Amino acid sequence: MITLNDFLMVSVVLFCIGLYIILAKRNAIQVLIGIELMLNAAILNLVAFGRFDRANNAGQVFALFAIVLAAATTAVALAIVLNVYRRYKTIDPDQINQLKD
Amino acid sequence: MVRKNKKLKTNLIKALSHTDAQTVSFAIWAVALPFVAFAVNLLLLFRSRIAALVSTAAILASLILAVKVFFAVWNAPVIHAQTVWFTVGTAKVPLGILLNNLSALMLLLVPVIALPVHIYSIAYMKDDNGYSRYFRYLSLFCFSMLGLVVVDNLVLLYAFWELVGFSSYLLIGFWFTRQSAVLANKKAFIMNRIGDIGLLTAIVILFTQYGTFDISALFGADGLVPLSTMAAGMWAGPHSAMPEVWQYVAFGGIFLAVAAKSAQFPLHTWLPDAMEGPTSVSALIHAATMVAAGVFLLGRVYPLFNATELTILAVVGCFTAFMAATIALTQNDLKRILAYSTISQLGFMVLAMGVGAYASSLFHLVTHAFFKCLLFLVAGIVIHQMKHIKEDNNLDIDPQNILHMGGLRKKLPLTFIITLIGALALIGLPLTSGYLSKDGILIQAFVWAESKGAVFSIIPYVALLTSWLTAFYVARLVVKVFFGDFRLQKVNPHIHIHIGDGNWLYKAPLLLLAACSLFPLFSKSPVFYEDAWIYKSFLPSNFLARENIYHTIVPVLVNILAVVVIYAAFAIYGRRNSWSFPQRGLLYRLSYNEWYIDRFYNPVVVKAVLLFSRLLYAFDRKVVDGLVDSLAGAGIALSKITDWFDRYIVDGFLHLVTSVVQTIGNFARRFQSGKVQYYLYSMLLVVAVVFIFKLIWT
Repeated sequence: MITLNDFLMVSVVLFCIGLYIILAKRNAIQVLIGIELMLNAAILNLVAFGRFDRANNAGQVFALFAIVLAAATTAVALAIVLNVYRRYKTIDPDQINQLKD
Repeated sequence: MVRKNKKLKTNLIKALSHTDAQTVSFAIWAVALPFVAFAVNLLLLFRSRIAALVSTAAILASLILAVKVFFAVWNAPVIHAQTVWFTVGTAKVPLGILLNNLSALMLLLVPVIALPVHIYSIAYMKDDNGYSRYFRYLSLFCFSMLGLVVVDNLVLLYAFWELVGFSSYLLIGFWFTRQSAVLANKKAFIMNRIGDIGLLTAIVILFTQYGTFDISALFGADGLVPLSTMAAGMWAGPHSAMPEVWQYVAFGGIFLAVAAKSAQFPLHTWLPDAMEGPTSVSALIHAATMVAAGVFLLGRVYPLFNATELTILAVVGCFTAFMAATIALTQNDLKRILAYSTISQLGFMVLAMGVGAYASSLFHLVTHAFFKCLLFLVAGIVIHQMKHIKEDNNLDIDPQNILHMGGLRKKLPLTFIITLIGALALIGLPLTSGYLSKDGILIQAFVWAESKGAVFSIIPYVALLTSWLTAFYVARLVVKVFFGDFRLQKVNPHIHIHIGDGNWLYKAPLLLLAACSLFPLFSKSPVFYEDAWIYKSFLPSNFLARENIYHTIVPVLVNILAVVVIYAAFAIYGRRNSWSFPQRGLLYRLSYNEWYIDRFYNPVVVKAVLLFSRLLYAFDRKVVDGLVDSLAGAGIALSKITDWFDRYIVDGFLHLVTSVVQTIGNFARRFQSGKVQYYLYSMLLVVAVVFIFKLIWT
């Protein structure tokens, strides 16, 4: 029997993998992938907790919204990455340190 | 100076009657005129030949004024004009002139001697490069000497005393390119300095005792010094007293001053060397006037001396006279012989002061000035002619050496006759002035010795012997120079000789001085010195009439033996030219080497002084400088410590603070690296920490 805990465990593992990717990868695309993984961990939580909703399937609906938003965010983020590449001729986050000013 | 004189003059003469005031202003102008000549020559006629005329005119005017002063003052009441020069505390230093018999006589004597010397110098120095400089110095000397004799206080006396020494220094070193002249003037100056220190000491002691510098207040007829007594170890003046020893110190100071200026043993050795100056200078300064300043000083301060001190003066004078006469016997340098004869005659004057023959001493001073000046001027002519011969024939000889001369009486007839007069006066034969003054000294020395006791009778006998020695060396000099054959011509038969007595500039001074060397100027009677007017004026009363047997015996004895001695000298040097004294004996060497006095001074005194100076120098270098250096070293060490402290403690603390701040800053800076992932990482860390804390606390 698959319990809520199992879902949460998977979610935590996904979140941690995503977090690791965000922190460790030297490629902005891969960082985006990490972000997607973390979003998916959150969405998985929404779906898993949705079983205990008072209203029916509110979690699933909220998950659908989140997926759409994630897709939009990714599109925007990829556009940003493309622009960053154009400007800096690299997409390694380590090399782009203009934020410090 | 002139303006100052004028102003002072008006101050000086306020209190005097009209005629006295005129006399005082004459005296002041007589002193000031040579200085005016000096100033004019220095400022306007620096290289001009007119300088000689200016100086001569000044001394002529001085002479005229001095004659007027002399007739106003001689045997008249003393004229004393005084004003306050400056005040130190309560002590007033006066400025003024004192005209009594002594100063009037000296005031007259100096220009009388100086005028012929000036005239002679116009001819004698005419080819010299330093013609103008010579007359400048000569005027300065005349001013100093005239000032010295008229001033009325010891401070001014000291100032003029120094000036006289300084102008003498300038004139001895007149030919300053000669090494020997430079050495001679240095020697004269240093020896005179020794005397100056003595005079200064004496002046300071007198001032401490009596509180005044005024000569007439100190040494006048009822002055402070004659009223002083010496009893029970104390030297008591009317208002003050001090231990007796100071009186002797003051005497010692005066004696040193006299010995240095008047060339008495042991400070006489500068005078023979001073002959490096021009001969006319030797005639004026180192024979007639400046060297008499010591005797003049004795005359001024005469009441200071007690019986013991007078005896010391007599002994020293007698010894000096004898020593110098023995040295003069063997010298070959014409001027050196005359220099030693000057020392010898000065010894006679000091001896006369010592035996109480005050009047005779001053009388001898005057007569000696004339005939010694005359002899030096003659020597100048002879040397000048010898120099001509030397230059005409390119000979390598010393023109002053009498061994080269001989037979000059045919070449220089007038010079010869005049020399004879001077020589006879120096020997002291009758009809000359020298006879009058010198026999006076000898007779009074005998009378004095008789009153003192048997031991002291050696002094007049030595003096008597000295006067025979004088006769001998003078005869030797005259014979070697003027009689026999001309030795230079004998050795070099082909030399050309064109010499003569010279023009009137040479002749006139000689004739004038020769006339003054004979008896009529001084006395009606050629044989009795008591009749001489100078002598009579200086006597306190009519003491010492012709009561004593010595008055007859001594002159007769002196003169008969002197004639014998002169004949002996003539026989030795004139006729038998080949024969002379053995030149190896101890006595000969003693005399020829001038009693080895310089040979003693150079290694002993000079070396000792130099050694002492070197010791002081070493002390200065090692101890004084060492102290300063070690202080400096300590300063350096201290500053090094301070430097270290500053560098490592003060700066170290600051560096520590800054490095802490830097470390913190560097640490904090890392969070602001601008890298997205790093920001995220930091955020995660903070969140994790917050959670961990939350877990721990709950």
